[in-house]
Amino acid sequence: MSPIALITGAGGGIGGAVAHRMAAAGITVIVADFDHGAAEKVRGAIASAGGKADALSVDVTQAREVKAVVTDVEKRFGRIDVLANIAGGSFYTKRIEEFTWAEWKEVIDVNLKGTFLMCREVAPVMQKQKSGRILNTASNYGVTGSALRTPYSAAKAGIIAFTKTLAQELAPDGILVNTVAPGPTDTPRVMGKESPEARKQRWSQIPMGRTGQPEDLAEAFYFLTTPESNWITGQTFHVNGGLVTP
Amino acid sequence: MRLQGKVAVVTGGAQGIGRAIALGLGHEGAKIVVADLQAEKAKNVVDELQALGTEGHPVEVNVANESSVKRLANATFDRFGRVDILVNDAGVYLKSLIVEMSEELWDRTINVNLGGNFLCSRAFIPSMRKQKSGRIISIASGIAHYGAKEFAPYAASKAAIIGFVKALAREVGADGITVNAICPGAANTAMPRTHRTEEELMARLRSNPLGHVLEPEDFVGPILFLASDAASYITGQAINVNCGSYMI
Repeated sequence: MSPIALITGAGGGIGGAVAHRMAAAGITVIVADFDHGAAEKVRGAIASAGGKADALSVDVTQAREVKAVVTDVEKRFGRIDVLANIAGGSFYTKRIEEFTWAEWKEVIDVNLKGTFLMCREVAPVMQKQKSGRILNTASNYGVTGSALRTPYSAAKAGIIAFTKTLAQELAPDGILVNTVAPGPTDTPRVMGKESPEARKQRWSQIPMGRTGQPEDLAEAFYFLTTPESNWITGQTFHVNGGLVTP
Repeated sequence: MRLQGKVAVVTGGAQGIGRAIALGLGHEGAKIVVADLQAEKAKNVVDELQALGTEGHPVEVNVANESSVKRLANATFDRFGRVDILVNDAGVYLKSLIVEMSEELWDRTINVNLGGNFLCSRAFIPSMRKQKSGRIISIASGIAHYGAKEFAPYAASKAAIIGFVKALAREVGADGITVNAICPGAANTAMPRTHRTEEELMARLRSNPLGHVLEPEDFVGPILFLASDAASYITGQAINVNCGSYMI
C-alpha cells in the first residue's frame, strides 16, 4: 500500500519539488495549495511522470477549512503518513515601523498558525495509526534573524520551538516531528524579485559555491520520511550550502 | 547500492558505531579502509565486509599521531587509489572530575578526539579537492551540547569538533566537499559500559522521548544520507540522532 503524504504549499517551488520527490519514491501525494491552479498543475506533472497525486486548495490560516480538508483526506485515503507544512512566505521586506498590524498577522498566520492548525488536525489521525512523520518548514532566518523581515523571522523561529514541543508530545505515539530550514533557494518566487547583481552577491557568500535548488530541499524532506531517519525527532535540518551553520 | 565505486575511510571502524558505519557503507557498495588502533578487531571487520561482497582494508592507526595518519593516507591510496568519504569516528571516553584530572587525561582526550579530526581531514582533503568531491562526516556527541559531569574533556572535544566542522565546511565547500557532524545520543556500545553498571546504562539509554535504545546500526541511515548525492547542499551542520533526547 502506498503511503499518503499531505503537502501544503505544494504548488510552489520547494513544495512542488518535495511533492515530486515523494511521488518518485512511490508515495501518494496530496498536493495542497492556496492556489488551486498551482496545485492542479503540480498534480498533473506528477501524474504524467507516473506518480500518484491528488490536488486540493486550502487556506492554512482558516481553522474550519483546515479541519474540513483533513477530514476529507482521511475519509478518502484512510490515513495520513506524512504531513509536510511548506505553505509560507515572507511577503514583505520593510522596516518594523512600516509594518501594519494586519501585515504582521498575515505573515505570522500563514507561517506559524498554519503549521499549528495543520498539525492539530493531522496529529490525531497519526495517533490512531501509531505512526507518522510531520515535517515543518523553518528558515535560516529563524535562527539568524533577517533585517526587514521581522514577522517572518519570528514565525520561523516559532516553528522551530513548536516542532520541538510537538515532537515531545507525539513521541509516545511513534510520530516524528522535524523541521527543514532552507537557506535562500532558487524558487520562481525568490528569483522573480531578485536582480542579477543581488543573485551574484548571494551566490558569492555560499560555501558550496552554488545557489540552493528546490531539489536540494526535497531530498532532505524525503530523507525525513524514510526508515533511515527513524531516530531523529525534534531537530532542525539546515539545507543552505553552508551559508548558515548554527 | 548507492555507494558503488566509492572509497570510504572509517577511523575507529573496528568496533561500536564505527564498525556499524563501516559495514553500513560497505553494504551500499563502498570499499572501506577500516582504520583503528586495534588492528586485530579491524581485520575482523574487514572479514565481515568481504562477507557482504565488498572490499575492506585494515590499517592500524593512532589518529593523534601525525606520521601514523600519514601512513593511513598512503595505505588508502596504495590500496584503493582514491578516497570519497572520510568518517572521523575514532575517539576516547575518559572519566575524571576536573579538580582531580591529570594533564595527561586531558591531553589524550583532546588529541585523539579533536586532533584526530584535524590530522585525518588534513590528510585526505588534498585528494578530495583534486577530484572536486568528497564527504567528511565527523562523529561528535550529544554531550557537545549538554555536557556530562566527569567528562569535561570529552564534552569539550566533541563541541570543538562541531566548531571544526563548521570552519572546515567553509574552507572546502567550493571544491565540492561537504563536512558535517553527527551527534549520536547515548548508545548501546562498549564505550559507556566502561563507567556504568548494566542497569544504570540501560535505564539511561531508554530515557528518551521515543523510548528506544539506540544501537550502533541506528546511525548508519543518517551517515548514508550525508554521504550520498542527496545531501550535496548540506554542509557545516551537526545532525542530532538521539530519539529526541536533546533538541537544538
